[in-house]
Amino acid sequence: MNPEQAVLKALHALGESDRDRQASPEAEARLKLAFRHRRTVRKWRRMSALAIAAGVVVALFAIYARGPRRIERVPVRQPTETASAIPVPGASRAAASAPVIKARTRHRAQPEIVTDFFPLMDVPPPIGRGALVRVNLPAEAMRSVGLPVREDGLSERVQADVLLSEEGMATAIRFVKVF
Amino acid sequence: MLSGDEEAFTALYRLRQGAVYRFALQMTGSTAVAEDVTQEVFMTLIEHGNRFDPSRGTLASFLYGIARNMVLRRLEKERPTETIEDCAGEVDLLGDLTRRETIEQVRRAVVSLPPVYREAVVLCDLQDVSYQDAAVALDCPVGTVRSRLNRGRSMLVKKLGLVKKLGFAEPVRAAEGTG
Repeated sequence: MNPEQAVLKALHALGESDRDRQASPEAEARLKLAFRHRRTVRKWRRMSALAIAAGVVVALFAIYARGPRRIERVPVRQPTETASAIPVPGASRAAASAPVIKARTRHRAQPEIVTDFFPLMDVPPPIGRGALVRVNLPAEAMRSVGLPVREDGLSERVQADVLLSEEGMATAIRFVKVF
Repeated sequence: MLSGDEEAFTALYRLRQGAVYRFALQMTGSTAVAEDVTQEVFMTLIEHGNRFDPSRGTLASFLYGIARNMVLRRLEKERPTETIEDCAGEVDLLGDLTRRETIEQVRRAVVSLPPVYREAVVLCDLQDVSYQDAAVALDCPVGTVRSRLNRGRSMLVKKLGLVKKLGFAEPVRAAEGTG
């Protein structure tokens, strides 16, 4: 027997001795718990996304039902939070300097606190023009972007600004506390 | 499983966890680390299972790949202060490969190999993984797997003192002696 054969024999013996070794049953139990938790989170996200989409549709309907006078064109040279807060891969400078459509609402005059924008799409389209729409949503929508919400407060209504692309797709959302 | 079927996940876990656990055990020599790595691998599968691409390789090689990254991260953190240069002890290595201390001697020799050679030896010689699957798991060409395996085996021959025990002359030293 040459050294190569001897080492293979020794490795084979080690492999055989380990053949029946496996992780403990506790590891399986922990993973099952994690799997269930993950499934619940996914379910909540799906429901929240649906709620946001429904809110956007209602808000869009309300805006267009009131007529175009409610929407005005404003130059982006006065930088808005909308354009600066969201990283948009592939958005050119030219696109960024194009005018955006900004919804004018009565809420602007009131003091309010806003969160950062949370993207709703994995790869948002470049923002050349867009609209910022104030919507009213159930608080559970905040969970979909990872914000903490008390269990007993899930059904409460919260206000949010949804950023719509030129095609009317919801690309990002921020939550608003109005005083 | 990705759609949230717990039974499918459990079946997959029971089918694959043994191999992942043994790989981590043979790479680190620690049952505690092997247990942790197994759990982390399947947590990753729960979170990012959609990254598995059957056209790139088998599920086994995908899981080995995740396990390998986690083991290497552990080895980086818990880098041993000294390496085992010679694992040849008083035990008759080839005389009785069924004895516990003999097996443990081989295990220590494997764990003392540099990680790049160790992972090739563990996958191909201990886990009986094909060169193709090992190449996918190790993210390198098949030829590299072969060469690392040969080098790893040669290092094991030296570490286990098989050359002396079998009465072979060491080729490098013989060449040096003639020069």
